[in-house]
Amino acid sequence: MANSTVALRAYRDGLHLIIKPHLSIIEIEKAIQEAMSRMNRPLNGTSIQIDLKSPALREEEMAYLRSKLKEAYDVTVRDFLVVSEEPVPPPIAAAPTTHIITQAVNPPDSRESEPSRIVPYTIRSGQTEDFPQGSLIIYGDVNSGAEVRAGGDIVILGALRGSAHAGMNGRLSSVIIAMDLVPLQLQISNCLNRIPIGKESRGYPEIARIGKEDVIIVERFVKF
Amino acid sequence: MGRVIVVTSGKGGVGKTTSTANLGTALALLGKTVVVVDADVGLRNLDIVMGLESRIVYTSMDVIDKQCELVKALVRDRRVDGLTLLAASQKNNKNDVQPAQMKAICDKLRSTHDFVLVDSPAGIERGFSNASAGADEAVVVTTPDVSAIRDADRIIGLLQHARIDPINLVLNRFSPELVGNGSMMDQADVVDILNINLIGIVPEDTGIITSTNRGIPLVYEESSEGAQAYMRIARRLTGQQIPIPDFAQKGLFTSILNWFTRKS
Repeated sequence: MANSTVALRAYRDGLHLIIKPHLSIIEIEKAIQEAMSRMNRPLNGTSIQIDLKSPALREEEMAYLRSKLKEAYDVTVRDFLVVSEEPVPPPIAAAPTTHIITQAVNPPDSRESEPSRIVPYTIRSGQTEDFPQGSLIIYGDVNSGAEVRAGGDIVILGALRGSAHAGMNGRLSSVIIAMDLVPLQLQISNCLNRIPIGKESRGYPEIARIGKEDVIIVERFVKF
Repeated sequence: MGRVIVVTSGKGGVGKTTSTANLGTALALLGKTVVVVDADVGLRNLDIVMGLESRIVYTSMDVIDKQCELVKALVRDRRVDGLTLLAASQKNNKNDVQPAQMKAICDKLRSTHDFVLVDSPAGIERGFSNASAGADEAVVVTTPDVSAIRDADRIIGLLQHARIDPINLVLNRFSPELVGNGSMMDQADVVDILNINLIGIVPEDTGIITSTNRGIPLVYEESSEGAQAYMRIARRLTGQQIPIPDFAQKGLFTSILNWFTRKS
């Protein structure tokens, strides 16, 4: 994702096409074409904003991109915005969901070959548990202020009240399961989801995973 | 050999100093020899709550600097036998004390007292590590609100890491009315989150304010609910089995309501 020349992201105000600096118009056009081909549904009729990092494109190049996007993909360019060389903000939309559109890397879906680590205690505020190599199984709670991160899945045989990040290496099929899922924040791969404030304990186990539209969905956990 | 118990919380203002003063006094009233140690160097308060501020000549800093003997620095509480205070220096700050020096003081005190109660400052920095350095047990004080509980959770993690055991929980400023109408966490919720032994609940008591200002620990006010709660906690600390009374006064209506909402 970070290496791709263009990136499509969804922000609160709509879709943004982020273009890296120091590229020729031909390279940009090619990258846009690739990004569009990776989309699981066409963007017909949508409008986007193009974020450029300085140095900006020339006027005629912008005009060319505008007409090209309209013509080839039926996408209207709302605006061109030149931003300074600061890191792009993380893709956080308004609660409760965030969309991630492009997925440049396609990590192998290898749950079987992954190692897992068992954590036989409660993880308290200020403590973190990282296991990028595989999945985490926690015999206890993850309290408010605590963080767990795993390369694979996270299974909590207790309450999740803190933050959890599954699939930190990019595996989109990673899931987070907790007996009581009331987290501050959930992240799977690079899809971030803030649970609505005041989500009550349901009294049954729940599973969080990435659903059809690159949105984290939480539902009752019945079977794997 | 006496027991060294650190009284701590993480968050400030939840009642560490009040609890130390009251538990110290209560244990002394039960006939134990007790020394309460103020570990809040630079921001001492325990002497005021105990009403002993005018009688402090030496502090723990003087003992560390070898300006005086440890026994000479102990201020005797004249109201009850066997209770003394070791005050903290108000002129220094927490970085002037090393954890090893605090541990040495605690180890000396435990040879002559049944209980050494160390009043920890708020925070997780040097003051906390000084206070917990010599302790083998801990009493974590929290109020039933989310920020105090998160900080207590953090402190419990640090205490467990330091292999301090047992860690007991005092739930302070508990308001049965607020729990009854559903605007305060009840004891089961708190214990569920913190997952340590609850040693007592101290109900909200406005008498605490007067008692603090007058320098007379609440436990002397035998009729007050807070005093009785602290006496029970002191008894439990000595190993007596006393059940925790059910403060929650849920009306029939709220009970039924809760039952329904839980089911849905």
